[in-house]
Amino acid sequence: MTLVEFPAIALAAVVCWAAGSLLQIPAKNSRIFGSLSWLFMLSGTLVLAWFLTSYWIALERPPLRTLGETRLWYAMLIPVVGFLVEYRYKIGWLKYYCMGLATVFLGINYLHPDVFEKALMPALQSPWFVPHVVVYLVGYVLLAASAVSGWHNVIQNFRGRRSEKGESMSHYLALLGFVLLTFGLIFGALWAKEAWGHYWTWDPKETWAFISWLAYLGYLHLVARKTDPRKLQWYLGLSFFVLLVCWFGVNYLPSAQNSVHTYSG
Amino acid sequence: MEAALFTLVAILAGLGIELLSSGAGIDIPGWPFNLVFLLLFGGLILVVGLMFREHPLVAWLGGIPLGLSLIVGLALLSLVGGVLPQNKFPPGSMVAMLRLNGMFSSWPFALVTLLFLFNLGLALVWKTIPFKVANLQFMLFHGGFWIALSCGLLGATQLERLVVPLYEGKASDVAYNRESEKAIHLPFSIYLKDFQIEQYAPKFALYDPEHDRLVEPKSKLVPEIGKGVKVEWTGIGSVTVLDYLPSAMPGANGVPVAVDGKKGVAFARVRIDENGKVSDHWISSGGPQLKPLFVPMGNYFIVMADGAPKAFRSDVTLIGAGGERKTETLEVNKPVDFYGWKLYQSGYDESAGRWSTLSLVEAVRDPWLPAVYVGFFMIMAGNVLFFWKGVKKMEAA
Repeated sequence: MTLVEFPAIALAAVVCWAAGSLLQIPAKNSRIFGSLSWLFMLSGTLVLAWFLTSYWIALERPPLRTLGETRLWYAMLIPVVGFLVEYRYKIGWLKYYCMGLATVFLGINYLHPDVFEKALMPALQSPWFVPHVVVYLVGYVLLAASAVSGWHNVIQNFRGRRSEKGESMSHYLALLGFVLLTFGLIFGALWAKEAWGHYWTWDPKETWAFISWLAYLGYLHLVARKTDPRKLQWYLGLSFFVLLVCWFGVNYLPSAQNSVHTYSG
Repeated sequence: MEAALFTLVAILAGLGIELLSSGAGIDIPGWPFNLVFLLLFGGLILVVGLMFREHPLVAWLGGIPLGLSLIVGLALLSLVGGVLPQNKFPPGSMVAMLRLNGMFSSWPFALVTLLFLFNLGLALVWKTIPFKVANLQFMLFHGGFWIALSCGLLGATQLERLVVPLYEGKASDVAYNRESEKAIHLPFSIYLKDFQIEQYAPKFALYDPEHDRLVEPKSKLVPEIGKGVKVEWTGIGSVTVLDYLPSAMPGANGVPVAVDGKKGVAFARVRIDENGKVSDHWISSGGPQLKPLFVPMGNYFIVMADGAPKAFRSDVTLIGAGGERKTETLEVNKPVDFYGWKLYQSGYDESAGRWSTLSLVEAVRDPWLPAVYVGFFMIMAGNVLFFWKGVKKMEAA
């Protein structure tokens, strides 16, 4: 399957998520509607998983090279985090944000279509390629979910409806995200040594990966200092913007001219 | 509050030093002084941490508030270094005077890092002595970061990254430093038997000369040339590849004839269908001796572009000073170790493309690498424990 089919696939996924979300309304009183709703929501994600698999086969390389390709992965994985959170914590609202975010990513890809391009530059042909990118992807997905729930908690606090359960969820999402960010950073360094000759060269993407890692390192130390969790929700919500700069904002910064990571643009 | 002020003073002091030295940056001492410095610094942390543990000032120096401020300080300095292009400003400019264009070798960065290592070191000493298994995750993560950061920065003076230009059929031991362009003799020589480039299949494209752009085909694919491939452009026409010769030369009558791999260029026989008007032509990407061949289709041109490089590699024989020989293939992502150096395939003569007889090899020596890797693996081990503990706590929550 190629990008020709992408608009149809994206539409199918969004329709599934929307239908599933709407069915949550009657689902409050009926188990059948509940099951049907979940069937739709999961199908939306499965459609994307199926697309990614067949796209991978058609490309003859992992679809993890361009920003557009990574957005496809986020669009598939972010709702999964929402579903798992509901399964684990019985917190239902996160999944709507997650599906909304995934829809935004699909929309960006629809408006800025990628080109179907099989070529993978030699430096990317490495056993490190998939682990480095996937670890980062999952890390970003978790941190996106943590930021979304951070904002949700901020709003709930304003409305005087503080939820400690919600705060603990954003905390654990950030914690898991940080673990993956650390692995991504070190995998990147180990790979860079094999591909470019040195593990750290302050390439703008590396610098920003370091800054975003420090941002979450700061978060963990604020937690260790027993900072008021209500303030930390702001911190989590805002930290994600640093990640966004690192993910794609870097390409627009003056420092990006000499980056080895610009291929991902 | 005091911690933030302290960090700010350190940054300002660093900027002051830069201003006074016109942005000369910090010269990290070379071997063996870097090791001596590391041992003294480590020893100082150990002594201060163990002897004055109860002193309020020392407790503050090793505390979380200062650690946090220094993390923020490091992040802010990195932010400047991550936004401003490094090594790009004229020497007299304010940015260069403050060395904001060489952030990661500047005094403010060095001072904040030094204080950070001191703070981290103290916390580490207190968590390590007396030893408790419960603190293992802390020790691994923080200890690993301390080792990786300190050894990475202090080892940077001993890092050597040299470019070795090699020509097919010749041996050389001459390497060049990228910055100084000084020639250095390696303790071994490299004989380049053969340099090869593998490319992805050539592509064809519809070029719009009026707007200087490529027209996207109906399928949104970048079409790769192969026998039988058909590509359509809506409203313009279609192209079908009748025959494809990856390596050929024009024969006596102008018709391309297949030749041995390295000499020829790619040719394709294409059938152009301009809304019913059908014609057959040869197109070619061209090479060093041959002009590219392209054909018009309406107001556009069907052109053929060489595929991107898929792999490039050098078959070499490494000859040590003592006469030992080793036959190796250097390829991107597959460096080879010899005499304490790591050899990388780094480039070739890009203007000659796959006809290049020049191979650029990078020789790297980094004696501090094992220490940095020990740090990395400690961080990863600590990270696994952190994950494990986190999941357990999460389940309890």
